Amino acid sequence: MTSAVVTQKLTKKYGRKTALSDCSLDIPAGHVVGLVGPNGAGKSTLLQLVCGQLNPTAGSLTVLGAPPVTGSPRIGFVAQDTPVYGSLSIEDHLSFGKHLNPAWDDDLARERIERLDLDPKQKAGKLSGGQRAQVALTLAIAKRPELLLLDEPVAALDPLARREFLQGLMEYVAESGTSVVMSSHLVADLERVCDYMIVLVKSKVRVTGEVEELLATHHHVTGARVDPENLGPGRTVIQARHTDVQSSLVVRSSAPIDDPAFSVAGIDLEDLVLAYMSEAANGRDRVLEKQR
Amino acid sequence: MIWLTWRQFRTQAVIGLALVIAVAAAYLATRSTLLDIARDSGYTACTADCGQLASQFVKTARSGYLGKLYQIGALVLLLFPALVGLFWGAPLVARELEAGTHRLVWNQSISRNRWLGVKLGGIGLATATVAGLASWAITAWASPLDKVDGWVTPLTYAARGIVPIGYAVLAFVVGVTIGMVLRRTVAAMAVTLVVVAAAMVGGLFLREQLVAHSTYQAALPADWDGGISLSPDDPSHDIRVEVEPPEVATWVLSNTILGSTGAKYHGPYDPDYCGPHATKGGDGPQGCRNWLTAQNLQQKVTYIGNDKFWVMQWRETGVLLVASSLLAIFCFWWIRRRVA
Repeated sequence: MTSAVVTQKLTKKYGRKTALSDCSLDIPAGHVVGLVGPNGAGKSTLLQLVCGQLNPTAGSLTVLGAPPVTGSPRIGFVAQDTPVYGSLSIEDHLSFGKHLNPAWDDDLARERIERLDLDPKQKAGKLSGGQRAQVALTLAIAKRPELLLLDEPVAALDPLARREFLQGLMEYVAESGTSVVMSSHLVADLERVCDYMIVLVKSKVRVTGEVEELLATHHHVTGARVDPENLGPGRTVIQARHTDVQSSLVVRSSAPIDDPAFSVAGIDLEDLVLAYMSEAANGRDRVLEKQR
Repeated sequence: MIWLTWRQFRTQAVIGLALVIAVAAAYLATRSTLLDIARDSGYTACTADCGQLASQFVKTARSGYLGKLYQIGALVLLLFPALVGLFWGAPLVARELEAGTHRLVWNQSISRNRWLGVKLGGIGLATATVAGLASWAITAWASPLDKVDGWVTPLTYAARGIVPIGYAVLAFVVGVTIGMVLRRTVAAMAVTLVVVAAAMVGGLFLREQLVAHSTYQAALPADWDGGISLSPDDPSHDIRVEVEPPEVATWVLSNTILGSTGAKYHGPYDPDYCGPHATKGGDGPQGCRNWLTAQNLQQKVTYIGNDKFWVMQWRETGVLLVASSLLAIFCFWWIRRRVA
């Protein structure tokens, strides 16, 4: 399997502040990758490094087999807050997309705008947040990129617009097989669409892997109070909560846990991600918002 | 990229074009009236000793609406650089950074260098064209008047020839640079205004360094004309003599009277000839004048004449364009290194 993005000890500092530290990743191509983490975890920084908008302070990365450069026709990027030119119409946006991208798929773009029921003559500044995001996505995919990056594309949208946006994205991905990396601070946005997950907390990567595999290897374990150290080989405690008599653990273990002393249950993606986050937050208030 | 630049610049371009057309129309339409005044005053037909007729012509021409046009022309060309810096330069990159649209456009299949290059080059060229055409119209229109008043006096000079192009291009690049560094449109506009004004004032001082100064030095003739000032109570008997510079000295840099030693002359005067208690040399100031003439005084004037006009124009424009290029290079460096 080829890799879409490979990073080695990638570090980015803004002055004295570290936004991303020692990030080593190998993101395989052909996946819809969710990049999840609380606000300020370094998600935007990582995505901007991948699209070449930023230069790393240390470490190295290759994107689609080459160092990233801005203006690459192979990478599509939907920036945070989905910026568009307020004074230009949708039509104008499609025109400049056509002028600035050699592989521009005009039919795809126009068909999408039509399907979204948008008036091409309308000024982009007058669009709702959801419509604006759709225009930005249209620009990014009509470029026909091999790798599509989306930085918190739905953060500012209402639930309906959110669903429509993600639906549009999934339709396109199903047709084209493009690799996608999409960030969010909400697991709920990602779990519906992503089959690969990267959890980033406090500028460090906590866990990566295919969603199915992550779900298969993580377990909710409850039972009599136990020292997390004594759980047995091959089992890592991600999160532990104890009362006087009982322990409630999230455990990573590739082998099934059939210890009669515990009751073992599956875990959903949101709880899994939250476990990694609260571990990183060191018992302080959980940073991740649980939606709904 | 050219398409996008044009689409975003369209409105400003139309305003610029409208300005040029208005200026050209106003000055082309009134040029014949100006020439009529020159002919009717007899100045056009005059061949020798035309000083009187020339000043008569200028006085008539400047009194009516043509005088207003003359002043407006200078004002337009002096303000144009500031306007370009404010409205074409400062928002060019700042607005994109402010709205985040740079993240949209830089993720099309185009490098930042090309994006900036087309914008700087295209709109810079538009700036030079508008400034050049406006300056050409006004320079041509005012040439009969300038022929009398001189082309190199500081205020006239900056609104003639090719120097307005240099200032407009510099102001544009200054605006772009400041906008790029500050990332705020309104703040960038304010700072640009200050910097452009400072550059134009600085130009006033730079200008006289660009060419060798001419010197006029001659003994005061017997019939010299000028002012004398002295203070009767001054025990050291200081006296100041002021003589009009010769006509060739259009832009006078210094005008001094030298004594027989070659140093600046400031007396002492002889109270017998000069001052309220003068007894010799006859009535009134004429006695003092005659006495001063006998002191072997010399007038020394350093000046820049009309003949230096084009040398100065080319050199000043050159300096301005070099400064603009350096700033543009800085812009390319900054956009790669410092703008995320």
